[in-house]
Amino acid sequence: MTQPPPRNDSAIMTPALAIRSLSHDFIAADGGATPVLDRLDIAVAPGEILAIVGRSGAGKSTLFNIISGLLRPRSGRIEIGGVPAGTGNSRIAYMLQKDLLLPWRSVLDNALLGIELRGNVGAADRADAIAMLDRYGLAAQINAYPHEISGGQRQRVALTRTLLLRPTVLLLDEPFSALDYETRLMLEDDVMSLRDERGMSVVLVTHDIEEAIAMSDRVVVLAGRPARVSQDIAIGLTTPGRRDAISAREAPEFRAYHARIWGALKSTAIAA
Amino acid sequence: MSAQIDTAAPPRPRTRRASPHRLRNLVQNAAVAAIVLAGLALWQIAADRHLINGQLFGSPLGILASARQGLTTGTLLYDSWVTLYETVAGLLLGSITGTGCGLGLWFVPKIARPAEGVSIVLNSVPKIALGPLIVIWFGSGMSSKIWLAAISTFAVSMIAATASVRELDRDLLNLFRALGASRGKIFRKLILPSAVPWIFSALRMNIGFALIGAVVGEYIASQAGLGHEVFVAGSLFDLNTVWLGIIVLTLMASLLTLIVRLIEERFVTWKSDR
Repeated sequence: MTQPPPRNDSAIMTPALAIRSLSHDFIAADGGATPVLDRLDIAVAPGEILAIVGRSGAGKSTLFNIISGLLRPRSGRIEIGGVPAGTGNSRIAYMLQKDLLLPWRSVLDNALLGIELRGNVGAADRADAIAMLDRYGLAAQINAYPHEISGGQRQRVALTRTLLLRPTVLLLDEPFSALDYETRLMLEDDVMSLRDERGMSVVLVTHDIEEAIAMSDRVVVLAGRPARVSQDIAIGLTTPGRRDAISAREAPEFRAYHARIWGALKSTAIAA
Repeated sequence: MSAQIDTAAPPRPRTRRASPHRLRNLVQNAAVAAIVLAGLALWQIAADRHLINGQLFGSPLGILASARQGLTTGTLLYDSWVTLYETVAGLLLGSITGTGCGLGLWFVPKIARPAEGVSIVLNSVPKIALGPLIVIWFGSGMSSKIWLAAISTFAVSMIAATASVRELDRDLLNLFRALGASRGKIFRKLILPSAVPWIFSALRMNIGFALIGAVVGEYIASQAGLGHEVFVAGSLFDLNTVWLGIIVLTLMASLLTLIVRLIEERFVTWKSDR
């Protein structure tokens, strides 16, 4: 089954996330400014998975911090669902490589942290959390502490904490890079399934080209200093049946996309 | 139909054998007790045969006699209670205010760095030298000893609390901010719980400092307390009573450390090394 290249119809529908002419500098201790992002324009359609790849220091995490409101950009703006970030009803949630579970809280209490910080936890929230943890095979561990479960399980608790907020845009900053290969594939599948079920948009930052191609509808390559969008590649993979982490990697187009993205990264490395 | 082969090992019969770890501990404790008893016996023999000057070194049986007399007259229990009260009150006062100041600095980051510098300078002041001043300000009663114990513990608690804030994972702080947490919620749900192991660690160290503060205060001016008893006995060359005071102070410090450890184990159940 050939999957249609991207739901990249952001031109006609309001994008779930829009980055408009975004520029940002790092300010050194002596007051000197080093530009890191230069007039980025990226739009993510509702239900789209977009991967951002780039070399270390390309400003990917800075971009994430700006989208999630932790940093104020030098210029440009972020729109969520067509309105400036932080003003509408749309919700952004993010997840990092580190699971960031609180060691003094049980698995269930960690999963409920996001809801607790935004308001009060009700019985329905608790039931939702237990159901989601059950889905991830963590029903028996809801009262365990983070140090009592495996790395993959901890990352699933972090994913549950993120998803319980019912985000319209999910930001993933290399969330699976510290995990073993098998667990990583399972979690990639989880994210793809959740996108299909809930229609949320996902922005994935990764160093792993294979992960970017396997999971996403579109790959944006950030390059140069300051970083600009050097390539915007729509991903269309032919898979037998539903596309998942394994079938995507076995698609005939996979290697060609890999070579193209690798080439883009390599040329930026040489240029740098 | 496929046959299933049970590859699981048969269950082992449960036996009540002592684990090698427990056995090793038992042997170690017995060896320590034997060494201590042998040392005490040698000390007593040397004192009885005048191989050492009993007036200058005391003797185990002399210490026992002093203990019996102290218990009979009630002075030993009363003095122990006075010193324990001063130590615990000073420990709590210094540790709570020090921890409160250290954690409170999170709300005012601009003064956090200079205030931390001040707490380090404060910690390097020899607190014993402040003894005469404290006694003049607060009198020769129990309050001057409590203040001296509190001053001896304040800086350690404050330094530990500021360190717990400084060492906090920035990504955790960013996560809380990205989730829209208010400053109050960040403090209650992140800063405070993450400081708990630091607070207990400082508390354990402070037991010794508080005890020193209380005893030194009693040396300087007092009517009761183990420090007072030790000071008076030392002046009279009653070395057996001096030894008795030292032993009771050591037991007191051990007891307080044990209590703090038990409270920590009760509240910090989530640490991976437990």
